[in-house]
Amino acid sequence: MADTSLPSTHVAPVSQARGRGLSAFLYRRESVRGYLLMSPTLLIMSVGILIPFLILLVMSFWTRDGFDFDTTPTVNNYLRVWSEPIFGALLSRSFWISGIATVVTVALCYPMAYYVAFHVHKHKMMWIILMTLPFWTSYLLRVFAWKVILGYEGVINSGFMAIGWIEAPLEFLLYSQTAVIITLAHAWAAFAILPLYVSLEKIDKSLLEAATDLGDGPVARFLRITLPLSMPGVIAASFLIFIPTTGDYITPALLGGPDGAMIGNLIQLQFGAVNNWPMGATLSIVLMLWIAAIALVFLFLAQKAREKIA
Amino acid sequence: MDVVDQLGAMREGKLSRRAFTKGLMAAGVGLTTVPLAARRARASADDQATFFTWGGYDIPELFQPYEASNGALPNFSIFGGSEEALTKMRGGFVVDVAHPCNSGMPRWVQTGLFQPIDVSRLSNWPDVMPELSNLPGNDAEGGNIWMAPFDWGQTSVTYRTDMFELEGEESWDMLWDARYGGRLGSLASGGDAWWCGAIKAGVPFDQIATDEAFDAISAILREQRPLIRVYTDDTTTLEQALSSGEMVAAMTWNSSAVLLQAEGIPVKFARPKEGALTWVCGVMVHKDAPNLDRAYDVIDSLLSVESGRFMINDYGYGHSNARSFDEFDEQTLANLGSSKTPSDILDAGHFQIPQSQDWETRMNELFEQIKAGF
Repeated sequence: MADTSLPSTHVAPVSQARGRGLSAFLYRRESVRGYLLMSPTLLIMSVGILIPFLILLVMSFWTRDGFDFDTTPTVNNYLRVWSEPIFGALLSRSFWISGIATVVTVALCYPMAYYVAFHVHKHKMMWIILMTLPFWTSYLLRVFAWKVILGYEGVINSGFMAIGWIEAPLEFLLYSQTAVIITLAHAWAAFAILPLYVSLEKIDKSLLEAATDLGDGPVARFLRITLPLSMPGVIAASFLIFIPTTGDYITPALLGGPDGAMIGNLIQLQFGAVNNWPMGATLSIVLMLWIAAIALVFLFLAQKAREKIA
Repeated sequence: MDVVDQLGAMREGKLSRRAFTKGLMAAGVGLTTVPLAARRARASADDQATFFTWGGYDIPELFQPYEASNGALPNFSIFGGSEEALTKMRGGFVVDVAHPCNSGMPRWVQTGLFQPIDVSRLSNWPDVMPELSNLPGNDAEGGNIWMAPFDWGQTSVTYRTDMFELEGEESWDMLWDARYGGRLGSLASGGDAWWCGAIKAGVPFDQIATDEAFDAISAILREQRPLIRVYTDDTTTLEQALSSGEMVAAMTWNSSAVLLQAEGIPVKFARPKEGALTWVCGVMVHKDAPNLDRAYDVIDSLLSVESGRFMINDYGYGHSNARSFDEFDEQTLANLGSSKTPSDILDAGHFQIPQSQDWETRMNELFEQIKAGF
């Protein structure tokens, strides 16, 4: 306390009174307390996300002028995104690739999470750690690892050739959309396993017993109890994978080849070699809007599906 | 026991010794699997100069004098194309020394991001070949210059002599050969590929800025695109693909062919009948270079005979220090495809001509569209 370090004891009551005043103020105003608790996050959110977003938004209405920007507001960039086929094509390709990757990831991770949630009774923590262990390495390393696996002289090709299944290396494995989908599906698996596991773990086992008692077989029991109750996990996993992979840059850059480029690569080019920052900003905004729209539609459909099941 | 349980147990002080040990083990496994590369990257000291360069120049062999006087290597930052590098520096990335080429130099100077080089601070400057520093736009106040020339060379076709069946003479047509569709590679940067497209399309470089030239070159590059397995700025990717036979021919610089030959791979750096693309690259000093003294050490190190010997012998490039060539006899130089007289090589090919910023932007925009399939 400050009062102990002061020579005069006179001041002590005042500072205590002030302290009481402050805590009383905080006690009375719940909203102030809330904002104070949130303040570190709020600060980071506004400095790190909100302000850059506003800059991006403003810049998207500018135009490039040699090395500089022409700051007269115009919607030309948005019109270009609408009218020139390259932007639409890369956007839809990005949604296609990351949509497939999302479905594949969730489908592959669901059984894993299911197994740990229902059939592992000891050392569950250990299982979860083991499953997520590959994801403790750098994302870039994992992408490069897939380059080694899928490559022309990679693990798959040389393995198949040694067995004698193929004569010449399979060339579609690397530098293709397939390569990007495979890599994304593996690289983001941890983000599917954890939410799926949590939602499956929460399911009340007595509901399953009740379903069995009332005559449901394993399949009907899964479809009527387990799947609907784990839907929040499936939705969370889908979002966690779909949103970041749509804008993924490094995977298509390293493994995509000419036909595997995604919208993230195009945005990077606008800020790099093409040197058109306003266009890059516009593309980022358009991408965000599309993701938001798709996410809303997905949520709406999931809601409808749940109502129908219930 | 699940994750939440364990956290709850810890909060209540009921975490069993076994569970605690297990947690420790998990943390240990995690720590050891964190890649070591991050730690090594941090080891480079902040007070060393930063050299912003193309891939392949970030090697100790070029910095022996620097290392001898400063005790460590400079920091490296890598770019894939000079346009990308310029954009990054315009965005506020500060380096000490950067590595542009003659075609970009006037535009780099225009940005005002660089300072003239005080050549009196470079001990190797008297040996630098004057015809290399005497480039258009390379004169600043007081006899100083903007770009100290360092390396010069060619962009051409490296091909597998055992896999690529040559029809007639070596030519740029090799990279448009439909027989090898899907087994050809190209550099991704328009600074190389577009100019090579111009040579293939027969567009003279002094007319490369016309609309007709844009039409002709984009048509020829669109024709090539379905045949290309990958466009990349990473020369290692091209070298590995050539060495495994994944590609039979690729657009590369001298170094890829020389490196592969040194490994015993049957490749040849073509001398296309239409002429190769030739260039001179050099180093420029950032106006806000935080370690100016060491920036000059970087340049001096690059211009040294030691670096020159490596550049000529191991990479097959030309070097700007005339004395570097004295280490080799004529026959060795001829085998490496090099020459003591830069003009022999530079004039035999098509030398890049600096273009306006508008041209660069238009070219890059178009080339990126072509690469994406439009």
